[in-house]
Amino acid sequence: MARYLKIIFISAAAAVFLMGPAHAGIWYLPFPEDISLNGWRIDRVIKYIDVVITIAFGLVLAALIYFIFRYRARPGHRAVYDRGDRPVNILATVCLGLLVFFSIDLVIEKMSFHDLKEVFWNFPRGANVLKVEIMPQQFAWNFRYAGGDGEFSTEDDIVAPLNQMHVPVDTPVVVQMAPYDVVHAFYVANLRIKQDAVPGTVTTFWFQATKKGVYEIACSALCGIGHTNMRGFLTVESREDFQRWLAGLGTETSSEEDVWAAEETAGGILTKWGWKWQAKSQ
Amino acid sequence: MSHQQQSFWTKYIFSTDHKTIGKQYLFFGLFFLLWGGLQAMVIRWQQIYIGVEVPLVGKLIWPDSGGILTPDIYNQLITMHGTIMLFWAITPLLTGAFGNFVVPLQIGARDMAFPVLNMLSFWVFFLSGGVLLGSHFLKTGPSASGWTAYPPLSTPVGGIPGWGQTMWILSLVLMGVAVILGAINFVTTVIRLRAPGMGFFKMPLTVWGFWLSSILNAVFVPIIAAGLIFLLLDNVLGTQFFIAGSKATVKGGDPLLYQHVFWLFGHPEVYILILPVWGIVSDLLATFSRKPAFGYKATVVSMCTVTALSGLVWGHHMYVTGMSPLLGKSFMFLTLLISIPTSIFFLNWIGTMWKGSLRFDVPMLFTMSIVFVFGLGGLTGLYLATVTSDMYLHDSMFLVGHFHYTLAASVFMASFAGIYFWFPKMFGRLMDPLLGKIHFWVSFLCLNYVFFNMIVVGYAGQHRRLFDPAVYDFIKPLMPLNKMISMFAFALGLVQLLFFFNFFRSLFRGKKADRNPWKAATLEWTLDHPIPHGNFQGEVVVKTGPHEYSHPDFKGRDWIAQTEELPKQ
Repeated sequence: MARYLKIIFISAAAAVFLMGPAHAGIWYLPFPEDISLNGWRIDRVIKYIDVVITIAFGLVLAALIYFIFRYRARPGHRAVYDRGDRPVNILATVCLGLLVFFSIDLVIEKMSFHDLKEVFWNFPRGANVLKVEIMPQQFAWNFRYAGGDGEFSTEDDIVAPLNQMHVPVDTPVVVQMAPYDVVHAFYVANLRIKQDAVPGTVTTFWFQATKKGVYEIACSALCGIGHTNMRGFLTVESREDFQRWLAGLGTETSSEEDVWAAEETAGGILTKWGWKWQAKSQ
Repeated sequence: MSHQQQSFWTKYIFSTDHKTIGKQYLFFGLFFLLWGGLQAMVIRWQQIYIGVEVPLVGKLIWPDSGGILTPDIYNQLITMHGTIMLFWAITPLLTGAFGNFVVPLQIGARDMAFPVLNMLSFWVFFLSGGVLLGSHFLKTGPSASGWTAYPPLSTPVGGIPGWGQTMWILSLVLMGVAVILGAINFVTTVIRLRAPGMGFFKMPLTVWGFWLSSILNAVFVPIIAAGLIFLLLDNVLGTQFFIAGSKATVKGGDPLLYQHVFWLFGHPEVYILILPVWGIVSDLLATFSRKPAFGYKATVVSMCTVTALSGLVWGHHMYVTGMSPLLGKSFMFLTLLISIPTSIFFLNWIGTMWKGSLRFDVPMLFTMSIVFVFGLGGLTGLYLATVTSDMYLHDSMFLVGHFHYTLAASVFMASFAGIYFWFPKMFGRLMDPLLGKIHFWVSFLCLNYVFFNMIVVGYAGQHRRLFDPAVYDFIKPLMPLNKMISMFAFALGLVQLLFFFNFFRSLFRGKKADRNPWKAATLEWTLDHPIPHGNFQGEVVVKTGPHEYSHPDFKGRDWIAQTEELPKQ
C-alpha cells in the first residue's frame, strides 16, 4: 500500500511540475527576440553556461537518485568506513578544482572579457554614429539629440517627446545617460541592454538595432512609486524616416507631454538639461 | 561558575544561559519568518489579482486603500519582505538559535565566553525587531526603497514620504550592534572554550560554519553600520554624502559610494548566512549516511577559502553601473574562483553519501534537498558572475530566482533540518515524523516550482519589483506562468502552517526523546534532557573526530562518541 502511495505521489508531483510551463505555453527557456548587432554575444555566454550547469547539475542529480536507491539503509547493509582523505581523494579533489578552473572559469572569463573590451566598451566613432543623451527621471524618459551641428548643449539640440526614442536601423547608437533624481536603469530586453543611470555620473553604452519596429524601454531599477509605469518606446526605423521625425520635432518642443515637464520645473531645470558630450567615447 | 536556582525572570527572560538564549532566538526568528512569509503571500497575490482586495487582512491593514494594494504599499512590502527575511528571520534562526544552542555544546563548553554579552545581544536584537515592526504602524508606512535602500531613493530626494526609511536605518543599525556583539562572542568562544582534546580539526563542521560566519560578521557588519549612519545623516540632517545629480542642491555626494559600501558588506552577508548551512549539511549528511564526513579537511579548507574570497567580490553586484571593464574583469575572475571551493565541498557531500547507509529521517530529507536546491542556486550564480550575461539578467526575475534558491530555499531547508534535528535536544521531545515528511515533500516541490519558474520568467526578460508586470507587452505572455508561481507560493505558505502545528504540538505532546535519538557522535548528544545551566558535569575530554560512524573495528553500535577512544588498529 505504502509503495503504491509513493508511486502515485511521485507521478502526481511530476505532473504538477510539468504543468506550469505547459499551461503557460513555455516548454523551453525563451529569450525575447534579439534585434541587436551584438546581442548574440550575450546569448552565447548564457548558452555556454546553460550547457555547463546542465552537465554539472545532471551529475549531482544522478548521484543523488542513484545513492537513494543503492545505499538506502536496510537490513544487512552497512556503510563503508571511508574518511576520503587518502592521496587518491586529494588527487581527485585537485583534479576537480583544475577542471572547474580551466573548463568553466577561464572559458567564461575569456569569452565575456573579450566581448566586454572589444565590443561593449569599444564605442564606435565616425560620422555614421548617432549620439543620444538620455535623462531618466521619476517616472519618465527624456531623450536629446545633438541637432545639425553634432554638438550637445548648443542652441539646436533637439528634445524628443517624453518616452519616445527613435533610432535609425543598422546604425551604431552611442548613448550617454545621467538621471535627474534617483538611480534608474535603461533596459531593452530585445537589445540585451541594461545600464544603470546613477546620479552624478554619466554612463555610456552603445547598441546597433538591426530590425525595424517599436520596442519597449523599461526601468529595471526600483525608482519609487511609479517604477512599473516608467515605460518608454524605442522606434527603430529607416534613416529617412528617422531624419523626417527629427526634422519634425524642431528645436522648440511643444508636444503635450512636454507641457507637463515644463510645468513641473518652474526653475527651468528640465527644459535646459543636457551636458557636453563626454570625451572618452567620442 | 555556580548556577543556583533562579527566578522565572532570570531563568526564562533575562537568562544568560546560551541554551535559553538560543530558544529565545528560535521563537523570535519563527515569528519573523511567519511575518515575512505572509508578506510574500501578499506580494504574490498582487501578481495574480491586480487591484483586487487582499482577502482576510486587506481592509484591516490598509483601510485607506480599501484593502487594495497600491504601488507604494507594494514597494513597502517588497522592501520589508527582503529586510525581514534576511536580517530578522534567517539571522536569528541560524546564528541566533542554532549558533547559540549548538556551538557551546558541540565544543564542550559550559557556556558562551561572555554570557551577559550574549543576553545583551539578544535584547538589542529584540529591540531592533521592535523598531522595524513599529515602522509598519506609521501613517506613511515603512521604508519603500527596496531592501538595498539605494540612495538617492532612500533620501529625501527620492520622494518617499514619512519616517519609514529612518526607522528602517535605526533598526538595521541596532541589528548590526546585536550581531557584532554576538560575533565577538562566537569567535572568542570557539577559540578559547574548546574542551581539552577538541582541536580545530576535531570540531564538527557546523561549528566551523558558525565560526567563519561570525568572523565575517565581526569584520563586515561595522562597515554597513557606518554606511547606514551616513545615510541616516542624509535623511535627518540634510547632509549629502550619497546625494548627487541635478536634484542635489550642492554637488557633493556619490550614490555609487553607498553601493560599494553596501555590497562590501552585502556580499559577505550571503556567505554569513550560507556558511552555517554548509556546516550543518556536512554534519547531518555524515550522521544520516552513517559515514565520516568525506574529505573533512578539504571541506574545511574550502569553507575558509570562500570566507576569504567573500570580501573581494562585491563588485559583481555593480557591473551595470558603468563599472570599467578592467574592474569588471577582476571582479568576474574573483567571483568565478568561488566555483572551485564550492565544487570541492559538493564533491565531498556526494562522497559522504557514497557507499553509506542512508537513513531518510526528516532532517536527512531536508539536508539532501539542500544539495539539490543549493546546487541549482550556486550554479545559476555563474550567469550573474559573468559581466556580459549580467547585462541581460541583472535586476531580473532570474536574479530573484537565483538568490531565493541560495538564501530562501537552502537556508530555510537548513533551518528546518536543524529544527527537526535538534528539537529533541532543545525540548526533550521528538517532532512528528509523518507531519514532518508531508511538510518536507510539499515544501520541496512548491519551492522548486516557485523559484525555478522565477528563473524561467527572468530568462524570458521579466525584470523585478514590478507592481503590475502586464504593463509591458513583452511580459504579457509570461503572465500565466506568473500566476501559477503565485498558486504554488500559496501552497508553500499553507504547508508551513502544518510545520507550526507540528512544532507547537510536539512541544507539549511530542514523543519523549531519549538521549541520542539520531545516534549521532557529537558532544551535545552525550547529555540528558534537560541540560542544566553549565552543561557538562565534570571534565569533558575529546578523543575522536566528530563523525566516527560505522568504524569496522568497533562492535556493538555503529557510532563512536567524541568522548570515546577509537579502537586500536
